Amino acid sequence: MLTLFRNLFSPPRHMILLLLATWIGLTIAEKHTERHGVGKDDLNNVTYYGLIAFVIGGRVSFVLQNLPAFIKNPPGILSINPDIFDPFGAVAAAIITIVIYGQRHGLLLWNTLDALTLYFSILSIGIGLSHLAAGTAFGMETNVIWGIDLWNATRHPTQIYETAASLLIFGWVWFQKQNPRPGILFLTYAGLTAAAQLFTQAFRGDSTLIINGLRQGQIIAWATLAIIFVLFEYRLKEE
Amino acid sequence: MQKNQRIIFYILILIAGAAWITISADTTNATAGTSAPQAGFTAPDFTLKTPDGEGYRLSELKGNAVLVNLWATWCPPCRAEMPAIEKMYQEYKDQGLVVLAVNMTYQDDPANVSPFIQEYGLTFPVLLEETGNVGTAYQLRSLPSTYFINRAGIIQEVVIGGPMSEALLRTRIEQILQ
Repeated sequence: MLTLFRNLFSPPRHMILLLLATWIGLTIAEKHTERHGVGKDDLNNVTYYGLIAFVIGGRVSFVLQNLPAFIKNPPGILSINPDIFDPFGAVAAAIITIVIYGQRHGLLLWNTLDALTLYFSILSIGIGLSHLAAGTAFGMETNVIWGIDLWNATRHPTQIYETAASLLIFGWVWFQKQNPRPGILFLTYAGLTAAAQLFTQAFRGDSTLIINGLRQGQIIAWATLAIIFVLFEYRLKEE
Repeated sequence: MQKNQRIIFYILILIAGAAWITISADTTNATAGTSAPQAGFTAPDFTLKTPDGEGYRLSELKGNAVLVNLWATWCPPCRAEMPAIEKMYQEYKDQGLVVLAVNMTYQDDPANVSPFIQEYGLTFPVLLEETGNVGTAYQLRSLPSTYFINRAGIIQEVVIGGPMSEALLRTRIEQILQ
């Protein structure tokens, strides 16, 4: 079953899973957006511009980081190869675009984030599945009976842990019929996701290690969690 | 929940998180010594010959940056990226770059390989993979597949599919030459 899935969505086809998650997530988020005081058109526009900025920003950021190579070969900027992409630059460009669009069209930040939370939670599932298909974000070697054979060893199925955590978080988001205050739904989703990453990263075999074997991914998740707690209090105090 | 209770909750969660980070620190270097066709692992070894019979063993090239390109003559993106690979080889070979273009001969017509080398003026070694063993070891699913291996023999980047532009090749090659 797992082999069939990995063969079906082996790279570069694993990106189909991300596209599917985006399509399903946006369709579902659109159906529930008015509950958060955000119109369907506004949500569609903000995601449309955000996704365009994501694609262009990822490419531009990669090119800027490797400028000498692209100065010698300018047509390479327009290459169809998806490896010319910086995910951090892509996310930054999307966030900046969404904030600018929101300000120019009078969208409320926290309401918009709440409206997008269903999309984010479905996208998280898609990311976990694409990791499973590509064999990235793989686990450490293990003897546990639920280990999977990957990269010539039996490993913790960290991609399945990640997907299962995302599914649980999506379930929690889905059943939230009331949002006490704008922003709380999004912050709770973000906090749960950071906590899940903090936990599951412990089983990863590809972690970037810093001092004494501490995992960079866990440190980032921990810091994100701390920031979310501060924002949580800020939202509760502000209202 | 009252504010004080929430703050105690946050502090407890952060303390538990910090403890978990410390407990789960990786002191073993999880991928060391394991060979697999994925970034972070030692590149799976192989020994293959060129059409002229000259043999190459990947593990003997340790100390050089190695680009392993798995390709076939019938594959349009493989053909499209060959001139860029040749150009990068000419530019970086003096700095220690070795290119091994492994033709998937078991999926190709061996008679097409030498004319292909002539047509594209390839000066790097083109190796013939006649058994499928390298394809299995590299878990080959798409052509072309390119592995950028650093001087320690560790795969640093994998690019599945193509064609790769000259600029992308240059960024990856400069990383493995460091």
